[in-house]
Amino acid sequence: MSTAKISARDVMVHYGDNCALKDVNVEIEDKTVTAFIGPSGCGKSTFLRCLNRMNDTIDGCRVAGAITLDGEDIYDKRVDPVQLRAKVGMVFQKPNPFPKSIYDNVAYGPRIHGLARTKAELDEIVEQSLRRAALWTEAKDRLHTPGTGLSGGQQQRLCIARAVATRPEVLLMDEPCSALDPIATAQIEELIDELRQNFSVVIVTHSMQQAARVSQKTAFFHLGNLVEYNETGKIFTNPQDPRTESYITGRIG
Amino acid sequence: MSDNNEHIMAAFDRDLDGIEALVVKMGGLVEVAIHDAAKAVATRDLELAEQVRTGDKAIDALEIQINEETARTLALRAPMSSDLRTLLTVLKIAAGLERAGDYARNLAKRTEALAALEPISGTDRTLRRMTAEVQQMLRNTLDAFVRRDIALAEQVRQHDEEVDEIYNALFREFLTFMMENPRNITACMHLHFIAKNVERMGDLTTNMAEQIIYMVSGELPGDLRPKGDQTAFMTGQD
Repeated sequence: MSTAKISARDVMVHYGDNCALKDVNVEIEDKTVTAFIGPSGCGKSTFLRCLNRMNDTIDGCRVAGAITLDGEDIYDKRVDPVQLRAKVGMVFQKPNPFPKSIYDNVAYGPRIHGLARTKAELDEIVEQSLRRAALWTEAKDRLHTPGTGLSGGQQQRLCIARAVATRPEVLLMDEPCSALDPIATAQIEELIDELRQNFSVVIVTHSMQQAARVSQKTAFFHLGNLVEYNETGKIFTNPQDPRTESYITGRIG
Repeated sequence: MSDNNEHIMAAFDRDLDGIEALVVKMGGLVEVAIHDAAKAVATRDLELAEQVRTGDKAIDALEIQINEETARTLALRAPMSSDLRTLLTVLKIAAGLERAGDYARNLAKRTEALAALEPISGTDRTLRRMTAEVQQMLRNTLDAFVRRDIALAEQVRQHDEEVDEIYNALFREFLTFMMENPRNITACMHLHFIAKNVERMGDLTTNMAEQIIYMVSGELPGDLRPKGDQTAFMTGQD
């Protein structure tokens, strides 16, 4: 029995006539950080978006094949994409807090999903989420000030707090540090490592150093193909596919 | 996708090429040191011995330079995969060459003592043959490094057994000479250390060859090569 949290079989994605992803087969493990790397346009973000059906919102995007979360088909007609996204949370490249207070940013998800019955329960969820996102000490005295007033790194941690507030099982991150300075990046990376205790984390990153630092498994995508998927240490010291070798050593763009 | 082997960033290639050139240069100096030291011992040439001793400084300086340039490249270029393995290998080869250079210097140092002693008949020729073998191993190792030639590195690895066998034979001979006549002991002790040092150079060269196999293939050779040095079990009674 494998420990796969998410399992993808023969996944193909088309944008109109354009094939963005071909026959991707991969098993993403629970309580593991999995990094997707590859040049721009290789399909890694497209695949990430398949995992919580963010591609549903894009016109002309067709997804074929099967993706299961804990053995259940996430593209089944009975699955509500909104419920799915509560289980499979997402953090984007640019911090995008709602134009609301810090408290309301984090409380938003639990409120719409009815996770808290009382104000005290909601307070508890907000505090716990901010603690998990390593933002509590900085934010606890200004919970009712606008989230947009935080620094970039703090805003990204707020977005992570918002994502973990709905108690997801999987956290998808699409280049979560590309707009941050090195200190904020280090804080997010430390956070990703801690989140691994409770979640399965999938991160798309253009920084190979970041993939090497935070992940246990790495998948290399190229021209819509999943070229190689292996232990991160193996990928960065002795990859098996010459395309992976060329990419990680800086020989192809 | 292009098949070319160059980095998108040309400066990275220049850094790596520069470091490799230093390794080859250092290897060349060690090769000469081994050759000259063996010749100095065989001909009791004190002047040549002195040259080897002073020449070791250049070898040591090259190791320091290689270490510095490698550290700089590791820090600035964050090399991955084959580039990373190349730099790790370079560090180990440079360390091995430096040790081999020290052994050559030790040979040279003993020349003076040996010059004052009676020669031990026959052993000088065997020693020179042994040293020539090691020198050839080192040359092949450096070629294997430059050409990324696993087969040649493997050949070096297997060749070390022959050096060990010559050393075993010399060990027996020295024992015999010493038992025959206590006056031979001083010379034989020096010659034995020389033989041992040459044997150690062979081991160092073998380690470098194994490191080259790792550099090219990503894996160290798994099988244990035959261990040829049997002298740990010799008693002089057999």
